[in-house]
This record gives sequence, C-alpha cells and structure tokens, in this order.
Amino acid sequence: MTMRPWAIAALVAVLLFLLGPFLIIVGAGLSAGETLTFPPEGLSLRWVWAVLQVDTLRHAFAISFSLAVLSTLGALALGIPAAYALERLDPPGAGAIRALVTAPLVVPGIVVGLALLRYFVIPLGIGIRPALLMSHTALLVPYTVRVVAASLRNLRVDIEEAAILLGASPLTAFVSVVMPNIRNGIVAAFILSFITSFNQVPVSLFLAGPGVSTLPIEMLARIDFTYDPSIAALSALLALLSIAIVFVAERLLGLSRYV
Amino acid sequence: MSDAFLELHGVTLRYGRSIAVDALDLSVGAGELVALLGPSGCGKTTTMRAVAGLLKPTSGQIRIGGQDVTRVPPNKRDVGLMFQSYALFPHLSVFENVAFGLRLRRLGEAEIAERAAAALASVGLAGTEGRLPRELSGGQQQRVALARALVVRPRLLLLDEPLSNLDARLRLEMRTEIARLQRELGLPMIYVTHDQVEALALAHRIIVMRGGRIEQDGAPAEIYERPRNAFVARFVGFETILPATSLPGAPRGATAAFGWRPHHVQVGAGPYEGRVLGASYLGEAVEYLIESDFGPIKAEAPADLPRHGPGDPVRFDLPLSRAVALEAEPAPGGA
Amino acid sequence: MIAAPRLRGLLLMAPAGAFVALAFLLPLAILLSGSFQAEDGQLGVQRYVQFFADPLNREVFLRTLRIGFLVTLASVILGYVAALAIVDLDPGSRGRVIGLVTLPIMISPVARTYAWIVLLGRTGLVNSVAHEFGFTDAPLRLLYTEPAVFLGLLQLLLPLIILPLVSALENVPRDAVPAARMLGAGWWTIFVRILLPLSREGLGVGGVLVFTGAITAYITPAMLGGAKVLMLETLLYQRVNVTDDIATATVITALLVAMSVVAKALLNRIARGRPLGRGRAR
Repeated sequence: MTMRPWAIAALVAVLLFLLGPFLIIVGAGLSAGETLTFPPEGLSLRWVWAVLQVDTLRHAFAISFSLAVLSTLGALALGIPAAYALERLDPPGAGAIRALVTAPLVVPGIVVGLALLRYFVIPLGIGIRPALLMSHTALLVPYTVRVVAASLRNLRVDIEEAAILLGASPLTAFVSVVMPNIRNGIVAAFILSFITSFNQVPVSLFLAGPGVSTLPIEMLARIDFTYDPSIAALSALLALLSIAIVFVAERLLGLSRYV
Repeated sequence: MSDAFLELHGVTLRYGRSIAVDALDLSVGAGELVALLGPSGCGKTTTMRAVAGLLKPTSGQIRIGGQDVTRVPPNKRDVGLMFQSYALFPHLSVFENVAFGLRLRRLGEAEIAERAAAALASVGLAGTEGRLPRELSGGQQQRVALARALVVRPRLLLLDEPLSNLDARLRLEMRTEIARLQRELGLPMIYVTHDQVEALALAHRIIVMRGGRIEQDGAPAEIYERPRNAFVARFVGFETILPATSLPGAPRGATAAFGWRPHHVQVGAGPYEGRVLGASYLGEAVEYLIESDFGPIKAEAPADLPRHGPGDPVRFDLPLSRAVALEAEPAPGGA
Repeated sequence: MIAAPRLRGLLLMAPAGAFVALAFLLPLAILLSGSFQAEDGQLGVQRYVQFFADPLNREVFLRTLRIGFLVTLASVILGYVAALAIVDLDPGSRGRVIGLVTLPIMISPVARTYAWIVLLGRTGLVNSVAHEFGFTDAPLRLLYTEPAVFLGLLQLLLPLIILPLVSALENVPRDAVPAARMLGAGWWTIFVRILLPLSREGLGVGGVLVFTGAITAYITPAMLGGAKVLMLETLLYQRVNVTDDIATATVITALLVAMSVVAKALLNRIARGRPLGRGRAR
C-alpha cells in the first residue's frame, strides 16, 4: 500500500479545508478584543453575550426558529403520505409527481422566492409570515419525501399486511406498525428539514420584509457595517448548535445515511 | 360442494397482460387442511393472497362460510395468515405481538392477558412474553407468528411456505405442531408450499398448480401414486417420463406417457441397453444416470447389487407393470 | 386490490403534489414564460438579445460559467483524493470521517462563509501574517475577488461530491484493485481504467450537485464577491432590488435553469457512459 501515507496526508488537508473555517469562526467569536481578528486577542464570551442582547437578532431568531419548526411539520405532513404512496401504493403518475415534489431541489432558491412574491404573494395580498412558511414548506417537501421513502424502503411490507389481517384498518396499521418502525427516518427528516429551513437564505430573500426577517438574512444585512466580533460570535454559536444537534442525531440514528 | 367452507369460483388475477391465476375453482371443507403445491410462479401464493384479501381478483368470486367476501377488505375477513418471513412487529414484545389482534377487538385487559398467555403456552413459548422478536431464534419467531395468527380465532388459517426458513430438525417439529393444532382446533387451513414432502405429510388434500391453473386435485396418496400428467408426476418424483409412442408394446389410448421413479427402473438386466453416465453412492442405494436411446434415464438400485461405473454398458428394464400411466398435459397456461 | 391502493396512493400524494405545484411550480412557470415575452407582449427571444447586449451581463454570465466549471473541476479532483483515502480506512474511522465531511452541510452557510471574511479581510489572518513577515506594506485586497468566491464555494460544496464518490467507490468489488495490480497495472492506470469507470455514477451525481450549487449560490458570492464580483444570482438580486428589473430577472432565471439542466444531462451521460473500450480494437 504505497499510496497510504500521502493519501492520509491529503485527506487530512481536505478535512482541514472543510472544517478549518469553524475553528476560525469559533476563535474569532470568542475574542476579547474590539475588532474582528484571528487569532483572537484573548478569549472571552463578551461578544456572545453582547449579540444575545440585540433585539432585532433575537426577534429574527424567533422568526427563523418558528418558521423552521412550522415548515418542517408542514413538509412532514405532506411528505410522509406522499413517500408512503410512492413506495407502497404504485399510484398512477408516480414518476411525474416524484419529479414534481423533487423539483424545488434543482431550481435556484432566489428565483423561487421572487416568483412566489410576484405572482402569488402580491396579487393575493398574502402576509410575509404565511409567504415565508409556504415557500419553506415547498422547499422542504423533497427532503422529507426522500428521507422517509428511504426508510420505508428498508421496512418489510409484510408486517403491515400482518397487522391488516389481524383486523387493523390501513390507517391503524400505518400508525401502529409502520410509524414506530420508521421513527428514525422521520426524526432524521425533521432534523434535516429544520436545519435546511433555519439556514435558508435565497428563498427568503425577496419574501422577508419590514420587521419580519430571518436570522441568516439579518446577519447578512449586518455584515457590511459590523467590524466587531459580534457576527462571528453569533456564527460560532449557530455552528456549535448545529454540531451538537448533528452529533446527537448521528449517535442516535446515523443521520449521515440520509443526507 | 355444498359443505365447502371456502369456495373460489372462476377466480382470475391479471397483472397487465400476464395472468397469475386463471379462472380458478377451488374449495376447502370445514376442518380440512389443503396444500397448494407447485413451483414458484405457479400462482399458489397469489391465490392465497387473494383469499386473504391482500389481492383483489380481476374476476370471479370468493366465498367464506357461505358469504361472498370478494369485496370484503382483508381486515374484515377474519382470515389468519402466517407469513413465510413471520412478519413479526419488530418494535413490539412477544406479548404485544400476540395481543395486537386482541387489542384491535377491544377486549378487556384481563382477557387479552389471559388469551395471549394461553396462545403462547400452546406453542410452547410461555415465559418469552417480554422479549423482542429479534431476541428469539427462527423457530421461536415462527411459533410467535403462529400464536399471533391463532389467538384471534380466525375462521380460516393460511400458511405461506411456513417451514422454508427452518432447518431440517425444526421443520419436522413444526410440521408435527401444525398438524396437532389443526386437529385440535378443527380449523380449515390452506398450506402453500413448493415442497411435496411437506404437502404429503400434512395435507388432507393436495392441489397441484401450474401457470395459474390446477393440474391435479386429490388426496396425498392419489397425487403421489397416480399423478395425472407428466408435470405432476415429475413433481412427485417420477424422474423418467417417456411418451407412450416410444415404448414397444405399450398400450395406446388415453395414455400419453409413462413415468417411473428411479427405484422402479431395473438395472443390470432387461431388454434395453445403455451406458452409465454417472453413478452416485447414496448409502442404501446407488443412483445412476443412464444414457439410452430413450434419452437419459434416472435409476436407483440397492447398494448390495453389483455396481456399475461411469462408461460401463448396462442393461436395464422399464417395467410397464410399475409405471404410472399419464394423460396428455394441457397446453401450458402461461407458465 | 389492484386498483384501490393505487387510487389511495394518488390521494395520498395529491396534497404534496398540489402544494408544490401551487406554491412553487406555477409562480415559477409564469416567471419563466415572461422571459420569452417582449415588452410589446410579443413572443420571442428579444429579452435574451437585450440581456446579452449588455457587456456587464455578458461578463457576469461568463464568470458564473467559469466559476461553476472551476469549482466543479477542483471538487472532482479533491473529492476523488478524499474519497479514495476514505474508502481505504477501516470501517470505524471511515464512519467518523464521513461524519466530519457531513458536518459542514448542516452548518449555516452564512456562518461558514463568514470565516473567509475573518481570514481574508483587511485585518484578517492572511494579511496580518503577510504584514508581520514584511511581505506587504499595505493590506492586500483579498475579499471581493474571484479567487475568494472560488474558495468559499469550493469549501461549501466539496462535501456534496465526496459523499456520493465514497458510496460509489465502496461498491467497487474488493478484489478489483489487487487483481489489476497482479496484472501489472500502476496506480494511474488503476484509477483511470478501473476506479474512475466504476465510480462514474457517484461522479455524475456529485458533479451535478456541485455545479448547480456553484452557479445558483447566493450567499457566498454576496458575501465574498459583493458588487465587484457579481454572479448571476447576485446580479438578479441587484437588478430586482435596485431597479425592479423583472425582465432581466426572468432571463437570468431561465439561464440558470437551462445551465442546470444542461449540466445534469452532460454529467448523467458521464455517469451512464458505456463501458470503456467495449468491442473496440486497439
């Protein structure tokens, strides 16, 4: 195995390239200094505390959080039945609908937001929050369908039939036999969708409006006139939160299988 | 067939252009254990699933206990099914697996506990209630599946290749168990299998299927000793089958062909001559493959007779007295 | 039950299908159809002609193509290097490394890209090191340059090709490489003749994800390129936001969708390509 040493070295380099930015962000965010620098001028949590006191950011966080929860729940409500139908019931036109529900993955997000704004939100006078919720839900449906379908594929069909022959209606069989056995897939879909919505920028860009902004958009807006480490502190905080969620999820259900 | 408990009239199942089950008529009497026997793709599993209601016939009628159930959904048919793979609920304990059907019937907690425990005891699994299916051996999982199917007291039990995932010893044990339960409960059963030994050992009646049609329907001894045609004959071990026209001195008429089991063929003497292609020592007997003018002949001779090696010329006889006379086969229905 | 479940399936899919069609496809279709309508309402490609008549638009279009191509090329190379090393690891550490590769996907792109600002800014790490060692007198302008956008996008998208490449290479029969070595093949030959053809599907999938990700990215060009290094997405945002120029926006949309579709078709062709040298005399 003559290629091993340099292969390992190259892999380490790639990992450093992928993960190095977090170390930088965390370092810069924990700086005790007044300006954005790396390496930090001493470590402290002062900018983390400072950024947590900013009302607009707290407001934006609340909006992003509730938007992510609601759109994830909506996408699961739409996606679970669709995934079940695609995997188990061979519906007519399955190919077309499969293509349709995965379409939001391939279209630039900013365009989705723009189109929705011009031809749906403005003409119908829809509020900013419902508009954001709609666009994020549509964006997440492909993820929930894909992840739930993958875990359904790994579940035997005959346990459902067994439940039905014991007297369960198809709905009862789904709730009492299928759901418990694809729970991991559903949780994985939830986490993936939540994170995708929470981090989403392009789709929200045109839809967000006065007083209703998501956290990443608010952060983007502040970058140009922020020279202190507050945005870095917030970025570090978000990164660590994501890492914690992903770490726990990976431990519990092997999240990376579903990405 | 007025006393038939289950009746299928002209049941047909089509998938697109192919026909899985072709205008099938079939009946199972009360308390009868009927085996559906045939190679894979013969339509036996499809037939069973149609009886369970998991598949809907394209045409035809299914009656259970005199009632037309063709349009009744599977959860209202009161038919038990034991799956080849057991299909236990992986997230539920053994007890909850067995109690599943009872809970759906909204029985009281006490009755559920009592009946589930009794069902588990009757298959020899008392004490495993708290375990998960994956913690049990294959044979034990099978017993749980049987208990789960029986505890709701179905009016008909379907068994789909129930022994195919077990080793030889467990297979015999389980076969005995199924036969005992069937006797005690008097429950009509349909037993789907591709293994003639299982069918012969268990069933009151055997239905041999091919290409979605019935080839023969009869008692085990009848199927085994008097197969109707070459297909059934091959299935029950008549390995040498020759058209009647190729045999000098054979009677003509309705008989299209004759069949012999390997041990019916006489090796070492007789009017015909051939050459040994291969010889396998089986302990009590030696199995020969003989090349002859009739084509290859499979024969078996007791091991204490003089042996023949590959390449040896050998004389043999196909005694008509021991042959089974076979009808012409119907045109294959899409097998 | 041949018909009933299929009908039930249709009913179960209907809400998701209808929702996506209404909230996504319909507005998008109206927007796209607008790109083929001239100001006087006539159908035609007039808007495209207008778009490409503007030198800035041409520059942005070519830059988007260039950056997309370079990011894809670089991530294919780095992706193979990383994936080959990953499949060579023992299963335990392989899982852990795959976890590390997956991690960035889950983290806010804003946070990820912000690291580059810290690194490349006027008072960032690169500039202070350069200054410390006396390489430069004045801080270098590293941000708002094409290389900055390239680096940011590469870092953002690289995991999307490593993961499919790893799963494709995991499926290469274990004995294929030793067998080829026994026949006297060197590493390059093994890669080109065995590993590359057998991992084509992963290459196709990952390549599409990276290329479309690069040309449709918004956050990275906005943060690291700004108004100086516009890409199609940032140009679109600027046009709509500053001058409410929907006409240009529809053309850009169509261009982006078309580029994605073409890239997908091209890379699918790579992925499903015929086996090398079949029936060809050499």
